[in-house]
Amino acid sequence: MNPKYVVKNKWFWAWNDDKEEAWLSEMAQEGLHLEEVSLGRYKFLPGNPAKMVYQLDYQSLRSKDKESYLQLFLDAGWDHVGSMNGWVYFRIQAEDGQAPEIYSDAESKLGKYHRVMIYLVIFLPILLFLRPTAPARYGAFSFIVEGLFAVLMLLYAYAMIQLFRRMDQVKKQDKAI
Amino acid sequence: MIKKRIHSKFLPLSEATFYILLSLGNPKHGYAVMQEAEQISAGTIRLAPGTIYGAFTTLEKGKLIQMVGIEGRRKIYHITEKGNNVLQEQINRLRIMLESAEDYQGAYSIRSTKEGNNES
Repeated sequence: MNPKYVVKNKWFWAWNDDKEEAWLSEMAQEGLHLEEVSLGRYKFLPGNPAKMVYQLDYQSLRSKDKESYLQLFLDAGWDHVGSMNGWVYFRIQAEDGQAPEIYSDAESKLGKYHRVMIYLVIFLPILLFLRPTAPARYGAFSFIVEGLFAVLMLLYAYAMIQLFRRMDQVKKQDKAI
Repeated sequence: MIKKRIHSKFLPLSEATFYILLSLGNPKHGYAVMQEAEQISAGTIRLAPGTIYGAFTTLEKGKLIQMVGIEGRRKIYHITEKGNNVLQEQINRLRIMLESAEDYQGAYSIRSTKEGNNES
């Protein structure tokens, strides 16, 4: 690995997208600029401290659609820093007193969380399909498999609740305006 | 005066969608829509790229706009006949709302209160 980079490991939960954005902005203020993102791993390029605004979008686009999608953001002044599992990281230089956003109304911003939820809902049948077959297949280990499955289901429910909470937050922010 | 009403799940249009449809009377790409919306609304409407992209996807699915070309990496869209009908209906509704507001002010008084204040 190139030693000029600073690597940080951190987990990212979908419902903490605003905290992720704030964290990356703080890093930029310390002179660490996001260069590459992958699951749990962030690669920063050290440089001059700068006021940068980071925004995350969620899109599962075919590559030919992704080109025009990224071009639109680029035209509007947003740099595409990287993508990770459907999450797209954008960055723009913060101008004084302004907090640029990639969504200009609450309705479209909620659309982002809808897309994350659709992904989770598609995932549910797969999760449920795994369940009945597991004990038979793993025999003596079925206890462990059942336990793992229970943890997975709890995590799934928790994720759903947290996403609803986040959407509620976005709706309330909208009312506050 | 009751005209033939158009029903659409898109009505009423959001501010963003309204300005997108309005500016797609001539074919253009997303960023050109952003610029035009800002210009025709005297700077009051600033559409963000995520909002534009989402609206384009929804409007294209609903056949209110269609892709008519590609310029490099930018897709060019144009309003359809259906989109135009929906836009016209929105404009009718806005006109009615504006007339209502004017009648209401005449009868009651946002205006007369103001005049009252001026006199005192």
